[in-house]
Amino acid sequence: MVDEEEIIRVAKLMKIDLEDHTEHVGRVKKMLEYFDILDHIDLSSEEIVSQEKALDELRKDEFVPNDKKLIESLKNFREHYVRAPKMN
Amino acid sequence: MNLKTSILDYINDVKSGSFTVEEFISATIQRIKDVDGDVHAYLSLNESAIEDARIIDKKISAGEKVGACYGFPISIKDNICITGSKTTCASKILENFVAPYTATVVDKLQSEDAVITGKTNLDEFAMGLTTEFSAYGPTKNPWNLKYVPGGSSGGSAASVAADECLASLGSDTGGSVRNPASFCSVVGLKPTYGLISRYGLISYANSIEQIGPVTKTVKDCGFLLNIIAGQDSNDDTTIDNANSDYLSDIEQGIDGKKIGIIKEMTSDGLSPEVSAATKDAIQDFEKLGANCEEVSLPTIPYTVAAYYTITSTEAGSNLARYDNIRYGYDLDSEGYEYNSYISKSRAKFGPEVTRRIILGGFVPSAGHAGKYFLKALKVKSKLISEVNSAFEKYDFLISPTAPVQPFQFGEKIDDPVTLMLLDYNTVTANLTGKPAISVPYRVTDGLPIGMQIIGNSKNEKSLLQAAYALESKTELPEVPL
Repeated sequence: MVDEEEIIRVAKLMKIDLEDHTEHVGRVKKMLEYFDILDHIDLSSEEIVSQEKALDELRKDEFVPNDKKLIESLKNFREHYVRAPKMN
Repeated sequence: MNLKTSILDYINDVKSGSFTVEEFISATIQRIKDVDGDVHAYLSLNESAIEDARIIDKKISAGEKVGACYGFPISIKDNICITGSKTTCASKILENFVAPYTATVVDKLQSEDAVITGKTNLDEFAMGLTTEFSAYGPTKNPWNLKYVPGGSSGGSAASVAADECLASLGSDTGGSVRNPASFCSVVGLKPTYGLISRYGLISYANSIEQIGPVTKTVKDCGFLLNIIAGQDSNDDTTIDNANSDYLSDIEQGIDGKKIGIIKEMTSDGLSPEVSAATKDAIQDFEKLGANCEEVSLPTIPYTVAAYYTITSTEAGSNLARYDNIRYGYDLDSEGYEYNSYISKSRAKFGPEVTRRIILGGFVPSAGHAGKYFLKALKVKSKLISEVNSAFEKYDFLISPTAPVQPFQFGEKIDDPVTLMLLDYNTVTANLTGKPAISVPYRVTDGLPIGMQIIGNSKNEKSLLQAAYALESKTELPEVPL
């Protein structure tokens, strides 16, 4: 059984304020309860397969200049920087 | 002028001078004005579409080289970026986001002289199956405006079905191209993972989502695939398709091919109408010379749970960027504390996206990952083995695209598990990376039913041959709009 308090705690970690959205908790709980079906499949011999690619197959990690100055269109742009809210 | 035409017929007509690109685009824009107030397939229109058409007409009359598309009108799902145009993902959080770059798929289309008509509606961030989760109101099914068009690419499918364009691009994470294609009686393809670049597609679940074409005919699907498929240096997950021509030999037929009818997708859970249509489709495949037999893939009952676990996890991570600082609402930071500022902007997410983000934090978290996320990844591995084994014996696997026909608005939105299970027949192709196509097969009681054909990886060419063969056995009514 999924604990509702735990759902609220995780929501907070995901920066979702559930104060006015308590109906979400019940619905998320229903979805998690459906996921319990995963307890009924035998996966003992299964390995997790991942897709791998060698580093030299990847695009070069190099700076691509962008002259569009997108940052200047932000509401919180202040001449040379973006103003973020205060951290307590 | 016949707006119900296919892309290929349109191109022949423009080449022969039956009408100009401008005339056709103008008629299409007029059609949008006439019907989209009811259908609501579009979230925004390309104001320069007619000017774009004139430029192509000038090239044609000057005898200059013209791109393969000859100005046919195409709509684009509003989670695919086009420089200078709004890309909202049908979310309030991106209400004012103007894309600073163009997706590779759109770039390829524009290079070949396609005309973009506008951006189409979707479930917010492509999370949903009905478009009821769009922050800007749902799209209506052109076959019956009281019914959902499917989703999440509901706007794309409806725009094609309602003759508001000749084709569209959608994205398919768990069936989001095929499901609305089935509900709106158009063709929808989810290609092999990596066949089409995702550069410029706003990320939801990167490991399984793909951009896919929505068209009126299977041949048009092959034509579009020829233009948009292939490797892209901006997307390292793309694969080499060896410049395949998906249109040539499309009429080859499927005589002697072996087809596996997926037992788990054709037994319980189908509506009587969908079940009857499926039986008839199997008979049609046999008449076309294919050998059909039932095949069991026992992992399928676990795929929906695995799919939602994996996609929620990736969504939780991808959507962390909408924090009001990097992307999003652009609220003045003055007077806010850091955490409350971020939470305030994230309250702009709609209900389904909010729930998926919470799920995406829960299922991979310490203490829960073993029960959910790691098991889901193992289900994916097991499913891949099963499906690969099936393809050692069969050329194609088939099922109905959706277990039910379109339903009325509000009918299923309150039950999250019922909604999730609408994906039952489609998520397998996403989890395994295999290509799958929905072909319009029947209209029963005025509502469409589509058949799904799944092929082996990179076998889109033969998949389209099978889809074309099935399409040739159907005779469907015109959309009553």
